[in-house]
This record gives sequence, structure tokens and C-alpha cells, in this order.
Amino acid sequence: MSFNIYTHPSSHLHVTPPGHPERVARIEAVDKVLADPKFAGAVRLEAPDVTNAQILRAHDEAYLELITSNVPEEGWVSIDPDTHMVAESLTAARRAAGANVAAVTDVVEGRAQAAFCGVRPPGHHAERDRAMGFCLLSSICIGALHGIEDLGLGRVAIMDFDVHHGNGTQDIFWEDPRVLFASTHQMPLFPGTGAKGETGEGNIVNTPLDPHTGGKELRMAFEQRVLPALAAHEPDLIMISAGFDAHASDPLANLNWTTDDFRWATERLCELAADKCDGRVVSTLEGGYDLDGLAESVTAHLEVLQAHAA
Amino acid sequence: MTDEKIEDMSFEQALAALEDVVRNLEGGQVPLEKSIDLYERGEALRRHCEDRLKAAEMRVEKIVGSGDQAKGTEPFEAG
Repeated sequence: MSFNIYTHPSSHLHVTPPGHPERVARIEAVDKVLADPKFAGAVRLEAPDVTNAQILRAHDEAYLELITSNVPEEGWVSIDPDTHMVAESLTAARRAAGANVAAVTDVVEGRAQAAFCGVRPPGHHAERDRAMGFCLLSSICIGALHGIEDLGLGRVAIMDFDVHHGNGTQDIFWEDPRVLFASTHQMPLFPGTGAKGETGEGNIVNTPLDPHTGGKELRMAFEQRVLPALAAHEPDLIMISAGFDAHASDPLANLNWTTDDFRWATERLCELAADKCDGRVVSTLEGGYDLDGLAESVTAHLEVLQAHAA
Repeated sequence: MTDEKIEDMSFEQALAALEDVVRNLEGGQVPLEKSIDLYERGEALRRHCEDRLKAAEMRVEKIVGSGDQAKGTEPFEAG
């Protein structure tokens, strides 16, 4: 079956202030990977816009109004100490969410086996009512809720291996047992949440990792906590918040994952999807700030997704 | 984040600064971009505290080890 890749030109127009790590060069690095002939067989699609109704399943109306009314005509507006908007930023965030909605639709309706959303800004720090950590809209939550509300999925599992805890995803699904949210992340580090004791309705499974740990600890976390929790949820779809900033070369964190560790993690998630939900996997780009580490890790991630879909 | 040099800090000063760092990191009020710098300062403070403790331990061992001749050892100095 198909492996679908969703992108949008607005990912390049969300320009952040000089020196900001979540920069246009990240998506350029990802685009270079996507242009590799080895991925020529993937189906390329332009991410659609998301509807306000789809956004409002994950975010408060007042928050959507806040970011919509603050879009500047020129220059930057800071929504949060980390999160800035230019004229095109909201369009980019909406298309990133739209990529997730389209990916979920195509995978659930059987037009694709696996999908990757190669878009920015990232989304997993955006809470129901506030922007945080470079994120405006929670793309993965909007995608998951679309799957549940519009496509009739009973249960969705989200695995977040970005090095920072996905506080936004946790916040949005804190009282929603239809979604299992599992996260591995460095602790202590931004945003400060993600302790093991934060469990929601029993549907939140956090596995904080000590700084300077690597693949061995990742494997233990997956084998002992993440994979059993995902399997027990009996999901109809597995979604991945694919941040690549646990890579050893990343400047914003201290984990020591290698490209092969990202490959291994993706393989385990695809195996689980094959076992539990007819192989349905949707992955979306979150963080990853070292351009070489990002490009190598995305390559490994896509190779596994593509092989899984074949 | 203070610019005070860690190597010039007393144990008490370094511990207080470390507690500050941990509070800030756990409180979630530190921007993502600055979070790593703060964590690394915390690491440096922790190492400094450990070094200070180790030095104090060695002094205590020196005193205990010298038995009856303890009078002649240098007194333990905190900080």
C-alpha cells in the first residue's frame, strides 16, 4: 500500500527571529531528505487547511481567536517567550494540522498504510489554551480527534519520542481515555512536566530519561513501559510525535540517541501497528535542531515507514 | 540565571543556586531555548557541590586517621 508524505510551502514562510533554533533551515533539511530518490515511490500530497471546527476539538475558542487576531502584517509578534508569529505563521500551523487530518483520513480509509507529515511549526507543546515551546496548534491532537470524531475510530495511541515532554498532548488528552499518550523525554528539561506520576485517567504513560543516557535506556523504556502500554490500549491507529532532538548532536538537549536508535524505535512502533491496527501509522515532525542529526534521523525514520508500507 | 562564577561559590551558595535551578526547571517557566543552558548550569553546580563535599570528607578522614594527634590537624572549614 502507499506511503504518503504531506508538506506545504507555508512551512518555509514561518520565519522565526534570527538565531531561533526552530528555523526555516530545518524544513529545508527535511525537504532535502524527501527529495532523495530512495523516497521517489512515496505519494506526495499538499497539506490542506484545517477547519476551525477541527481545531476547536483540541483548543479553546478564545485561544484560537487570540492567535488569529494577533497575526501581524509585518515583523514578529511573540505569543510566548519561545513562540513567535509572522504573517504566514498561522497559515503554516493550520497546514501542519491539516497535514495530520489528511494523513489520518488517508490511512484510516485505506488509501495509505503509513504517512509522514513533513511540516512545521511543531505542535506537541501547544496546550488547549496556550502556545508554548515553538508550537501554536496541536497538530497531532487535531489529527487524532479527527480520526475519533469524524472517522469513527474507537482508540488512538500516540507515541512522542521528542526529547521534550509533549505537555500539550498530555494536557489535551488528560481526561480522554480514548487516547493513550506515551512519551519518552529528557528530565529535567523544558517544559518541566512528564513525571511518571502524571497519569491522567490512566491513559498517560510518561517515561522520563536521565540526561546523558542513550540507546540502552531508550530500549529499556520502550520494552518495559511504552510498548506494553501501547499494546494494552488496543489502538485503531498509532500516531508518532516524531521529534529528533534526542539525537546526540542536538544543541537543545543532552540525550545520546543515534540515528539507529530512531530507526529501532520506528521499527518497534511499526511492528506494533502491524500487530494491533492493520499497520496504520501516522507520523508528524516535531523537534530536532541539529540539521545533520535531523536529516539523518528523518531518513532512517522514513526508510522504516516506507518499508512498513510496502 | 546569575553570572556569579561557580568556582568562587561556597558549598551553601552553590547548593542554594542549584535548588533555584531545579525549582525553575520543574516550574516550567523557563523558555525551551534557555532550558538547556539552565540545566547545564545545574550540572556544573552539582559537580561543584560534590567537589566541595569530597574535599570536606578528605579533611574529616585526615582528622579521624590521625587519632591522638588530632590536635595537630587543621580544623574543618565549611565553605
